[in-house]
Amino acid sequence: MALRITLGILLTLVLCAGIGFPLSQNPQHWYELPVIPGLEEKARLIFFHVPTAWLSVIAFLTGMVFSVRYLRRRDPMDDLRSSAAAGLGFMFCILATLTGAIWAKFNWGSFWNWDPRETSIFVLLLIYGAYFSLRSAIENQEKRSTLSAVYSILAAITVPFFIFILPRITSGLHPGSKGDPDGAGPVVQFQMSPNMRVIFFTSLFAFTLLFIWMFQLRVRAGKLEMDRDPQQAS
Amino acid sequence: MEFLGQHQLYIVMLIVVAIWLGIYWYLFRLDRRLRNLEQQSKH
Repeated sequence: MALRITLGILLTLVLCAGIGFPLSQNPQHWYELPVIPGLEEKARLIFFHVPTAWLSVIAFLTGMVFSVRYLRRRDPMDDLRSSAAAGLGFMFCILATLTGAIWAKFNWGSFWNWDPRETSIFVLLLIYGAYFSLRSAIENQEKRSTLSAVYSILAAITVPFFIFILPRITSGLHPGSKGDPDGAGPVVQFQMSPNMRVIFFTSLFAFTLLFIWMFQLRVRAGKLEMDRDPQQAS
Repeated sequence: MEFLGQHQLYIVMLIVVAIWLGIYWYLFRLDRRLRNLEQQSKH
């Protein structure tokens, strides 16, 4: 209950502050956000777009942890938790791609530009799309769980590379790419003002709580299905 | 598109709505799944 109440309060605050706080060339008050050249009002997206990508990383790594646990203990609940985390990660990865594409349309001129950041998230979607194909292709529960646990571990190893490393070592349009004219971008070099940072980290924390809640709900539903039909549960 | 280019705050709103719809869609599916399970357990 505490999780849901905290989540509700924090997300409401983030929404109000992230959208409602005015931009100012020379911020004088605690509620004024600085104008970041080239981003202006669109800089607010950092409070909503980045947490979706953050959650996909958290979810994929959670999936890997439960996959390792499954391989050690062979508990079907760990397989269920692993697939639930991967499913949530896939959804948040799609949301990060979609919201990034909308942003790209107004910042770069088109929805898709094959920027290194876009390319890497596209590859990640393919990798995890293959994970779900693999799960749906195997009927035997134990074989499906074992193979998908191994695949999930291998897939999660690529996540930090595609999210944190590749887009930063190659030149691109996305803030934070190598050769970014404004430095490494607002997130990487922390060009954000202190009040932006508070909203940003509160948003990351609130979205993480949202993930925990959705993950718990998904696992509870999966557990009910598994109790009814252990072979079909996924 | 021209309107959104001039009023960038609406782009932020569009993206927040997209995130909300994604979460709503996920919870909607989960709700349907739980309802099916509840109905099955009644029979």
